[in-house]
Amino acid sequence: MNQPVPNACIEPMVSVEAKPVARGETATLRTKPRILIACLVGLLLLLASCSEPQLAGMVRQPTPNVADVTLPDVTNGGREFPTIAQESRLLAVYFGYTQCPDICPTTMADLRSAVEDLGTEGDRIDVAFVTVDPERDTPERLASYIQAFFDDGIALRTEDPARLAKAAASFGTIYEVTKADDGSIDVAHSTLLSVIDSQGNILVQWPFGTTADDMRSDLKILLKRRT
Amino acid sequence: MNRTSTVVLALGMALALTGCGGNAGIQVEDAWARTSASIQDAGAVYLTIKGGTGADRLVGAAVPSSVATSAGLHETVTEGDEGAQMMMMQEVEGIDVPAQGEAKLEPGGYHIMLMQLAEPLETGSQFTVTLTFENAGTMEVVVEVREDQ
Repeated sequence: MNQPVPNACIEPMVSVEAKPVARGETATLRTKPRILIACLVGLLLLLASCSEPQLAGMVRQPTPNVADVTLPDVTNGGREFPTIAQESRLLAVYFGYTQCPDICPTTMADLRSAVEDLGTEGDRIDVAFVTVDPERDTPERLASYIQAFFDDGIALRTEDPARLAKAAASFGTIYEVTKADDGSIDVAHSTLLSVIDSQGNILVQWPFGTTADDMRSDLKILLKRRT
Repeated sequence: MNRTSTVVLALGMALALTGCGGNAGIQVEDAWARTSASIQDAGAVYLTIKGGTGADRLVGAAVPSSVATSAGLHETVTEGDEGAQMMMMQEVEGIDVPAQGEAKLEPGGYHIMLMQLAEPLETGSQFTVTLTFENAGTMEVVVEVREDQ
């Protein structure tokens, strides 16, 4: 989706550079400037549209806002944590569970490598992990899990199913924990990783499969907008 | 080509075939597992299987009890409608390996799930997984533990 934009930015420049070749043709001198002006106007319009770099992740319209969501932060004595970033920072929020062997660790590891690649800029990103399986994810387990990926990772956990469901819905995420007769537990969950600003706006959401490179480039664009 | 070299060649080919055993040329590459968080109970092994001369099917995987209580073939699947999609895991009976083709076990697709890890999977460590193929029989593969793909 964002692919055509860089091309559109380059092509008009090529056509403008090619124009001077026609200067010597006096017969068409009157029409040439018009074409040139039209090209320049087109180029300016295109440049204007290019000035806002495109994000690789999903950008929802209208922008969802999660400023009114708070969840207990078990990495901070259970204090209520509003899901908004601190001033000039970004907050990434993920709904998952610690017994998830494939999707959750892959997403967290990709985010970690994106943040690490940003160097000192990456220090402006906070990460919160909300468990959708509070029964098995004790506060200790959850905190230890997220902090294995991010030293200052924030672990959010509520035992109130209605509260969890409401918070998840604000993020546009869903989940389902089912217990089988043999006692095994299956967890299904949306795999969106959301990035939030200090107003609680969800700026971008990455579905599973978003590469660490795309995450890094999106974070870079979003951090730039916040300075 | 003289007679002696023909014989040597034939012997060499015979030896090569014996070396393949019952594996029919099937090969496993890049077996790895992600470093696990200290409290993580479950892990996943990813690898690429290069098919041999005939089609085959991966039907089982096992690890020593010093690694995990059990191992199984799993697939991460997406369920639900557009806009309300969730991902979950399900057990699979087997993973097809096409002749001369390949089967990939990778994040978001198939994986060998390790249940009840005995110890956290530490970066740089290795362990062995025994794969069972329908035709090729069993094969031991060394799995490398690392943080990223």
